[in-house]
Amino acid sequence: MSSTTSSSTMSSTTSTSSNHDLAPILQARHLGKQVRSGDRSLTILSDLSLTVFPGETVAILGESGAGKSTLLGLLAGLDAPSSGELKLFGESLAALDEDGRAQLRAGRVGFVFQNFQLLPTLTALENVLLPLELAPAADNDARARDWLMRVGLGERLDHLPKQLSGGEQQRVALARAFVTGAELVFADEPTGNLDPATGERIIERLFALNREAGTTLMLVTHDHALARRCDRCLRLIDGQLVDMTLEEVGA
Amino acid sequence: MMASGDSRRDTRRTWGNGLHWLGLAARGLKRDLRAADVRALFVALALAVAASTMIGFFLDRLERGLTRQAGQMLGGDLVLEQGEPFSSELKSTLREAGLTLSDQVDLVSMISRGERFQPASLKVVDSAYPLYGASRVDVGNGVEPLPRGPAPGEAWVDPRLESLIGLQLGDEVRVGRTTLTVSGIIEREADQSGGFSSFNPRLMMHVDDLAATGLVQPGSRVEYEILAAGPPAAVSSLDARLAALKRDGVEVRDVRVDRPGLGRALERAEKYLALAGLAAVLLAGVAVAMATRRYVDRHLDTAALLRCFGASQRQLTRLFALQLGWLALAASVCGALLGLAGQAGLLALLTAFLPLELPPPGPLPLALGVLTALAVLVGFAGPTLLRLKRVSALKVLRRELDPLPASAWLVVAMASLVFGGLMWLYSGDLWLSAALLVGGLVMLVILGGVGMLLLSGVLRLAALLPQGSHGSSPTRALRLGARQLGRRRQASLGQLLAFAVTFAAMAMIGLVRGDLLTAWQDQLPEDTPNYFAINIQPQERDAFVETLAGAVDDRTALYPMVRGRITALNGQAPQEAVPESGRGSNALRRELNLTWRDTLPEGNRLVAGEWFGPGDTVSGAEASSNDAANAGDRAATEPSDKVVPISLEGELADRLGLALGDTMSFTIGADTLTGRITSLRDLDWDSFRPNFYVIFPPGVLELFGHTYITAFHLGDAQSPLPGQIVENFPAVSLLNVEAILGQVRELLTQVTRSVELVLGFVLLAGISVLYAALIASRPLRAHESGLLRVFGAGDRLISRVQGAEFAILGLASGLMGALLAELAAAGIYAGWLDLAPRLHPWLWIGLPLGGALLVGLIGHGLSRSLRRQTPMASLGLLGES
Repeated sequence: MSSTTSSSTMSSTTSTSSNHDLAPILQARHLGKQVRSGDRSLTILSDLSLTVFPGETVAILGESGAGKSTLLGLLAGLDAPSSGELKLFGESLAALDEDGRAQLRAGRVGFVFQNFQLLPTLTALENVLLPLELAPAADNDARARDWLMRVGLGERLDHLPKQLSGGEQQRVALARAFVTGAELVFADEPTGNLDPATGERIIERLFALNREAGTTLMLVTHDHALARRCDRCLRLIDGQLVDMTLEEVGA
Repeated sequence: MMASGDSRRDTRRTWGNGLHWLGLAARGLKRDLRAADVRALFVALALAVAASTMIGFFLDRLERGLTRQAGQMLGGDLVLEQGEPFSSELKSTLREAGLTLSDQVDLVSMISRGERFQPASLKVVDSAYPLYGASRVDVGNGVEPLPRGPAPGEAWVDPRLESLIGLQLGDEVRVGRTTLTVSGIIEREADQSGGFSSFNPRLMMHVDDLAATGLVQPGSRVEYEILAAGPPAAVSSLDARLAALKRDGVEVRDVRVDRPGLGRALERAEKYLALAGLAAVLLAGVAVAMATRRYVDRHLDTAALLRCFGASQRQLTRLFALQLGWLALAASVCGALLGLAGQAGLLALLTAFLPLELPPPGPLPLALGVLTALAVLVGFAGPTLLRLKRVSALKVLRRELDPLPASAWLVVAMASLVFGGLMWLYSGDLWLSAALLVGGLVMLVILGGVGMLLLSGVLRLAALLPQGSHGSSPTRALRLGARQLGRRRQASLGQLLAFAVTFAAMAMIGLVRGDLLTAWQDQLPEDTPNYFAINIQPQERDAFVETLAGAVDDRTALYPMVRGRITALNGQAPQEAVPESGRGSNALRRELNLTWRDTLPEGNRLVAGEWFGPGDTVSGAEASSNDAANAGDRAATEPSDKVVPISLEGELADRLGLALGDTMSFTIGADTLTGRITSLRDLDWDSFRPNFYVIFPPGVLELFGHTYITAFHLGDAQSPLPGQIVENFPAVSLLNVEAILGQVRELLTQVTRSVELVLGFVLLAGISVLYAALIASRPLRAHESGLLRVFGAGDRLISRVQGAEFAILGLASGLMGALLAELAAAGIYAGWLDLAPRLHPWLWIGLPLGGALLVGLIGHGLSRSLRRQTPMASLGLLGES
């Protein structure tokens, strides 16, 4: 197992509850991803390994174009790797087709995106309801309202995204990510489209919700302030993940 | 046990799951209605359904109503007629089949009042008469509808008998050896069988009085009829028996076959409506295809998100299919309601013309409407929708990851298949549909080529335009607009084709309408005769012509008329010579009106053979040196020896199985005369002119007893002419057909209005296409105008550039539409509507200009809200906008 997986340099500095006695929630081994660009093959990730345990918060930092989003897509099972092995919730993704991977995600994985990804014709409430509606349940509506209340938008249920500010839109996205009771939440540059003050409030909210729900959080960001709050910080360089020290993150 | 419990639980879960997805799809649709493309989709589908159900409902009801009315005109759903009484065995067979019967006897006899005698056409009815409808009779309280015939001892008479022999209500009239009391004056009989062709005035009496008249003797000419009413199934069950009766020489009139109908006008109108319905469906289909592209583009994000949240491809397919299923259902219901209202409107326009009581709308057109909506959705949207299923979840992270658009070929192939199927369903003609479809596809390929050429032409022209002196000068806007259009070649071509098809369909429906109306007006021109004068004696002829001279137009002709009976065809007895189907033809049993004439009568067309030459004016080819004056004498002295040329009406020739060169023998008075068919004529029985089955050349019939008949147009209602004729020519019967003529004209006007209503629907469908297409292209245009604004373009320039772009698009598609419409209309005229194709020059000017204006206006209006957006919003810099 590579050095990135085990004793994290960050874990000693934070007091979170990364529970290494449990089976890993996410495990990548020798992951590689090549894409074809014309007649050339472009390597984005190579021989990348990573283990994440339930309850951990992990930040992945990297330059623009380093392949952070590609990695996130692979880890969430949105895309298939060119080589290597990937286990999500203990299940190998290699054996699953795209539908199988989708089924594995259903209800257990939440997402927060840089550009919010709210559907413009849906109200705040309807946007939050979207992931819930894939499975029938009587209390879907109440749960969606409850989560919107928790992100402070209890009065804005019927507003369309265009009637909400950027920060408010991202709060709707937060509610949507947690509403299904997800075990694992992926966040792709959640503050990238927000001004620093708003971004700060969103981060506060994200980590608070994460604590309450006991969720595992995988963050992709280039915001060091955000990364510092995580149990572990990893940097994506030349297609591989490298552990970062507190000093490096603070820099 | 466990297993069965499990399976029950599974079943319940499956059911619950199914309901969940139904509900989910419905909620999704409700949310989606906030988006313009879904509304466009909804409007397009609803219009397709409305047009098809409206026309379906209307044609269905009209068809059933006409059948019922035809039954009323015939006197029953089935009418049997022969020269002797029907057997009681036949009557009980008919009753057992479920038919209600009424007996009727027709004969011509002399009637008298005092010393005044008059031949009359007697119609002897029983107590069951009439099976359908009511007669309009004045029994002393003014004209009223009466669903019965005269009672025993009574007679109802034609008002003409008042002027002829002074018969009035309450008078006694002698019929044969009995006397009846006149208790009613007939305005119109419930059934119009034989009404107009027998020129003798009508007297209607009860069958109980028939024996007392003593008119029915062996050898007397009497027609016996059974009128039968009942459901079509009952009539069908008798098919074998009816065929046998026909072989025995019984005339069988069956409402299913011998529908008198309302002539070619209504037949063409029905075809026109069906055509317009198809055009509306096609347009709606194009609109659906356009709106679907935008719908799918917009839902790629939804699909990707749902994939992210764990939805499988199957679930996505199910969700979107159900969602659109709901849309189709909602649109069907709205469309069907609109269609119902529309057909009620059509009927309200049409009902004035006839005492036509239509049955309520049937369920079939409704089913057809829903089917149409689903078919249009599957056919025009299906391939595009499949894109949604193929969305990768990764799209949420990488926006550019859109699945490939559906292949244009697949879209066109699928849409053609479905539209072809609909055409087949609507027209019932597989080959016609296939031919139209193939022709349409070929046209589409050609149009695609023409469109490409047009677009590159536009680009090249734009480059030639002067730059323009100031920022928002019109030429600059035109240049920029043309360049934008030319650069987006693929998208522009799609719009160009869609608009061209739309304009062509709209123009074609408009064109056909105009030409139909012209054809109808030509059929009954202003000077259509409104008076018939019959029974003009030869010695009165010159005086009568003189009386008419000056008051009527020169084309008014007097036709001599001789009554003759067919006694042999090609030397054989008629019943043996004609095909089985013709044995019951009443031309074989009744006297025909024969005439002679040296020129083809107005309104007749020669369809085979040659009209009489100078040599034919005498009886026999070998006597060609004799002049016409002697010919009459020769014909009179040896009438039966010679075979003379005759001209026969084409339809009768078909019925009797006769062709050029065949001979027909007639008994006229005591003589027999044989003619050889040298020409066949086609004529319009609705022309309100005297029409004849058989025409002889001059010089043959002159010495037989004959009278003259004429029809003339009298424009001035106050003219003293009718009075003079009645006074000076007491024997002449003058019939005023102005009322009937007015009825037919009214019918044409009403049909015209209904055609216009349908045209309106087609135009609406066309506008829905424009709307859908422009909605679909809105995001792209928003992006472009955003960029222009970032680069410093002002409101005025952007507005002008967009206006120019739309106007060029409209102009080019108008031009292509004109080409398409002209070709399609020519095909439809020649192949379907039986009209002569012609060129429409104004189309080539009107359509491009109208197109530029229409597309320019709608496009301009729709993009106004875009121009009000900040570039930040229109470039998508504010997240999803």
